[in-house]
Amino acid sequence: MIKKKDVLLKIRDLKIQGYSDETWVDIIKGVDLTLHRGEVMGLIGESGAGKSTIGAACMGYARDGTRIVDSSIEFDGMELTTATEADRRMLRGSRIAYVAQSAAASFNPAHKIIDQHTEAPLQYRLKKRLEAQEDAMELYEKLRLPNPQEIGFRYPHQVSGGQLQRAMTAMAMSCRPDLIIFDEPTTALDVTTQIEVLAAIRDIVDEYNTAAIYITHDLAVVAQMADTIKVLLKGEEVEEAPTKEMLDNPQEDYTKSLWAVRSFESPQRHRPTDGTPPLISVKNVDASYTGGEKVLDDVSFDIYEGMTVAVVGESGSGKSTTARVITGLLPPSKGEVLFKGEPFPQDYRSRTKDQLRQCQMIYQMADTALNPKVRISEIIGRPAAFYSGLKGVALKNRVDELLDLIELEPSQYYNRYPPELSGGQKQRIGIARALAAEPTFIVCDEVTSALDQLVAEGILRLLDRLQNELNLAYMFITHDLATVRSIADEVVVMQHGKVVEQGPKDDMFTPPHHPYTDLLLSSVPEMDPDWLTTLLEERGVDNVGDAATARIDPNDPKVSGTNA
Amino acid sequence: MSVFVIIYYFLLLGASCLAAYFNKRSAFLLLFSLTLVSFILGIVGGVSALRMVAIAAGLMALAAMVSYAFREFLIAIASVNMAKELRTAPLTAAFGMFVIFTVAIAGIFAPWIAPFGEAEVITAAFAPADETMLLGADQLGRDIFSRLVFGARNTVALALAGTVLAFLLGALAGLLAATTGGWFDQLLARSSDVIMSIPSLIFALLMLSIFGGELANDTTSFWLLSGFAVVTGMLVVTAMAGKSLIGWLIGLAILVGVAVLFSGFMLAIFNPSEIILILVVAVIYSPRVFRLTRAVAGNVVVMDYIEAAKLRGEKTWYLIRREILPNSTAPLVAEFGLEFCFVFLLIAGLSFLGLGIQPPTADWGSMVRENATLVSFGEITPLIPAAAIALLTVAVNFVVDWMLYRSSGLKV
Amino acid sequence: MGDILGLVAKRLGLGLIILLVISLIIFFMVELLPGDIAQAVLGQGATPENLAALRKEMGLDQPAIIRYLDWLAGAVTLDFGNSIVTGTSVAETIGTRFANTLFLATYAAAIAVPISIVLGVIVALLRNSIFDRVANVATLTSISSPEFFLGYILILYLAVKTGMFPAIASLSADMTFGELLHRTFLPALTLVLVVTAHMMRMTRAAIINLLASPYIEMARLKGTPPWKVIVRHALPNAWAPIINVVALNLAYLITGVVLVEVVFVYPGIGQALVDAVSKRDFPVVQACCLIFAATFILLNLAADVGAILTNPRLRHPK
Repeated sequence: MIKKKDVLLKIRDLKIQGYSDETWVDIIKGVDLTLHRGEVMGLIGESGAGKSTIGAACMGYARDGTRIVDSSIEFDGMELTTATEADRRMLRGSRIAYVAQSAAASFNPAHKIIDQHTEAPLQYRLKKRLEAQEDAMELYEKLRLPNPQEIGFRYPHQVSGGQLQRAMTAMAMSCRPDLIIFDEPTTALDVTTQIEVLAAIRDIVDEYNTAAIYITHDLAVVAQMADTIKVLLKGEEVEEAPTKEMLDNPQEDYTKSLWAVRSFESPQRHRPTDGTPPLISVKNVDASYTGGEKVLDDVSFDIYEGMTVAVVGESGSGKSTTARVITGLLPPSKGEVLFKGEPFPQDYRSRTKDQLRQCQMIYQMADTALNPKVRISEIIGRPAAFYSGLKGVALKNRVDELLDLIELEPSQYYNRYPPELSGGQKQRIGIARALAAEPTFIVCDEVTSALDQLVAEGILRLLDRLQNELNLAYMFITHDLATVRSIADEVVVMQHGKVVEQGPKDDMFTPPHHPYTDLLLSSVPEMDPDWLTTLLEERGVDNVGDAATARIDPNDPKVSGTNA
Repeated sequence: MSVFVIIYYFLLLGASCLAAYFNKRSAFLLLFSLTLVSFILGIVGGVSALRMVAIAAGLMALAAMVSYAFREFLIAIASVNMAKELRTAPLTAAFGMFVIFTVAIAGIFAPWIAPFGEAEVITAAFAPADETMLLGADQLGRDIFSRLVFGARNTVALALAGTVLAFLLGALAGLLAATTGGWFDQLLARSSDVIMSIPSLIFALLMLSIFGGELANDTTSFWLLSGFAVVTGMLVVTAMAGKSLIGWLIGLAILVGVAVLFSGFMLAIFNPSEIILILVVAVIYSPRVFRLTRAVAGNVVVMDYIEAAKLRGEKTWYLIRREILPNSTAPLVAEFGLEFCFVFLLIAGLSFLGLGIQPPTADWGSMVRENATLVSFGEITPLIPAAAIALLTVAVNFVVDWMLYRSSGLKV
Repeated sequence: MGDILGLVAKRLGLGLIILLVISLIIFFMVELLPGDIAQAVLGQGATPENLAALRKEMGLDQPAIIRYLDWLAGAVTLDFGNSIVTGTSVAETIGTRFANTLFLATYAAAIAVPISIVLGVIVALLRNSIFDRVANVATLTSISSPEFFLGYILILYLAVKTGMFPAIASLSADMTFGELLHRTFLPALTLVLVVTAHMMRMTRAAIINLLASPYIEMARLKGTPPWKVIVRHALPNAWAPIINVVALNLAYLITGVVLVEVVFVYPGIGQALVDAVSKRDFPVVQACCLIFAATFILLNLAADVGAILTNPRLRHPK
């Protein structure tokens, strides 16, 4: 519902330019925005859409190397573009506050959290120091921070990420501003932590009836938080509508493409029953980085030929480490990896060329996975030449064939360099490089998480098609359950370096589960605007996030039973 | 009040007002602060101080014009891509390129440009300048201008040779250490730490005190050079051969041949004491190059494409040559310029102390020393070779500054 | 606090090890000479009997490792043996000279450190303005000029032409402190010019690097006035880089001092080193090198310890 009240912020024809290569380039190309008191607007768009730049501009602030030109930004009757810097500064912190993406980097490491909190109220002489501190503790309590009396007197690095993000929201509230800009406040957090922060932010914004601009790239998140949603694309507005309307009935094609719930779902495959050994078998693996603690603890699972195993878990759960053990980058301290029933040498340096060929990898960040100074023809051609000894025309034909396979026109891409390609095209080149080795098994490390929805779906379809054509096995590392739903045959859930549960996909998405799986599954935001409300009612405010993780009872039969 | 002073202030104030009127903020700030500084200078130093400011400004304007013209000249003759790059060069960088170009010409064509021989005594000691001797004579009656031209050849060639050797050893070791990691990396890093904890000039003095005397002969310098070449070459062989024994044997055989050829070649160009100097410089600066290269390559090595290549089973040499080097050329070139400046200043300093290039070879550092007594008579002659050293170093630094700015700007 | 003490102790230990390795290098490098010091002292025409006698006297008949330990034990108690040219005690010859050098370096540092840090911060705040560019060109020029160039320019204009300061920095025991400062002003100024340029550039880079941190933007977006952003948010985090810059440049002063002492005929340890090198007086060379290296290591050590002590993450462990 929208609270139709006075207009608080009115932006007309916002143009922002950035300085690059000796010239000024338009970043924001004429965006209008109207925000009423107490209204929460979600700004949504892909990376490079200019969301964050608009957010800063709402405070009359242009980051270094950018400038606002010929625009009008009117906050509560005051024109910010023509106001003096001192006048603009008087608004910041007191009437417009900002919550940054990375709280860990945005808190000054040299001061206590509460001293940073009280800085603005003291600066504007709104409160005395002790009053301000009292107020901070009250806000901490409202935001459900543990030990609200004490937590403020710690230094930022002594507090966890999810708590710090809530402390930053409290800091933004310190002067009870009319408007808060939330710049991707939960993007850096894990899903289970995200819920806590979302719930806390929503409650406090409601309680003080503060207007907010909520910037994110996650549709499901914005659906929980915003009254109205504005969709941006490359510095221009696509459309704006109240949340419900926008979700039910988007107008523009671009919005529809964003909204399209992942329609692709590959049919579930099953393990062969004739007793062939699994292609890859991870057996009781322990691993740790030099001198560090154990990162993997007794991890075991099998991957059969032509099947996809999705490994899910939050950051630090050991998903990627498992992949490093399989590829031989990190020899395990205990246990072994079997390939077709035969032990695989633990260190990649002691593997034969053929063993190396069998197991390929596709990376999350296509930008860092492709050498920017090497032509596409060589990136794809090198493995073909290296493993199969192809030369001259045969090599060129093979590269053309591979480019055809990943649906890129060979003549057009053959001589280009990676920086000239889009994110999705780069990821396709990464796939082609893996295929060039003619492997039987590919590790896909978060291959779609850096891509926009639609492009990601294209990549998933491509991977599925290739799997059917070439009988490939995938180990699919991801934290996104939608991806799991569409491509996995089997699922392995990991937490703190242990496998907590594993089984065929269909079983995993039907309860009952191990409590952690349950928590993980329920914490992933859904497109339904009432999802958060319903979830909090079901689970209770105190049974989400870190609190819920801590609450998992080790003696629960589901916990002790699954891993045996 | 002389007419000069009146014209001086009139011009400055007029220019300031014009700049203010046309909203040229930075030009106005510069001109007006110069005016304010001139008031103080005029009171303290009188007309002569103002005259010096005017002369300096004139010289700078002249330098700016030369730089501008030179940049346009380079743009005109360069290829399309190069020209695009050159257009971004500030005037300081253009000035730097112009000076480097001039010194290079002077060095290469020294015998044709210099009117007299390098060690040719033509007149009385400290004879004043005349038509044949542009800058007068030095303490032995040799033409200073001719020695300056020959000095460009000697000093720069020596510094260049030292930098190239330091760079070959340091950069190869750095690339290899960054790529392989492990104990090899640790060992090299620790030893470079130790060498870098001795101040460079002090270490140079220590080594010269030992190798400077009777050890500066053909045999010793040949063996030292070959040793240096073998150590450097070993890095290449390690990277190329990997674990193959035959690779090692072939590599070592070629390496020994190359090392001997290289040493013979160096001995043909430089005399033994110069070779000792080059080696001393190379030993002192290679840890610095090593550290920087390792940092630069370290940023590349963490990339996923390196991991992909390693997992493919590529050899270290392929990783260095095809994957790492193409991505670190820009910072490495800038680094080469920086190291050249350090090396050049070190050699000039050593020569000034009488421990570097030995007479009668013409060299800028020792020329300052030889004519230093003239300073106490108010002559600027000894300042000229010193100024030449400063000018070339400034020039290289200007170009490096631009390149660093470009390479960091492109990353953002 | 235990963490900090541990780190500092570790760093101190590392410094000590490096110093030990350097003493090994300095000592055994001289061993590389064909023949030995005795031969170098007596020259080509020495009779075998004289050589043997001198060797015995200098302890050269002992194995190298014993002599090294002897030398090291002496060095720890500041006894560096006798000069082979004059025969006098090395410690006595370079003792006062080292004090003179320290005085000159301190004099230069006292002027250069405050000026360059203030200027560096100002230039960082005015970055990309015309003043920043002028400062960039000026500092680059100053860095690129050899010390003797700056020194002779100062002599020419401030000593010879105007006579404001003496060209030769000779010292005598009965000078007043003011006179001392006046006498040594030109060499100090030369050092100041070089070091200030270096320090300004490094301070500028450190501050600009710091101002790009998200918490500085956050402070600005909280409405904190610019001066307070610098004083309250940037400065507490700037100590480590600034301490580093200062220590690095003080270490640089030590090298620069050699050339400057020669230009101004200043009776410091640098000149002693240069003389010893040309006369091949190895005990003096070894002693000077060890002293320079030790000072250099000490300053780097101070920088690292300073950085550890000012790091808030280490001062307030989890």
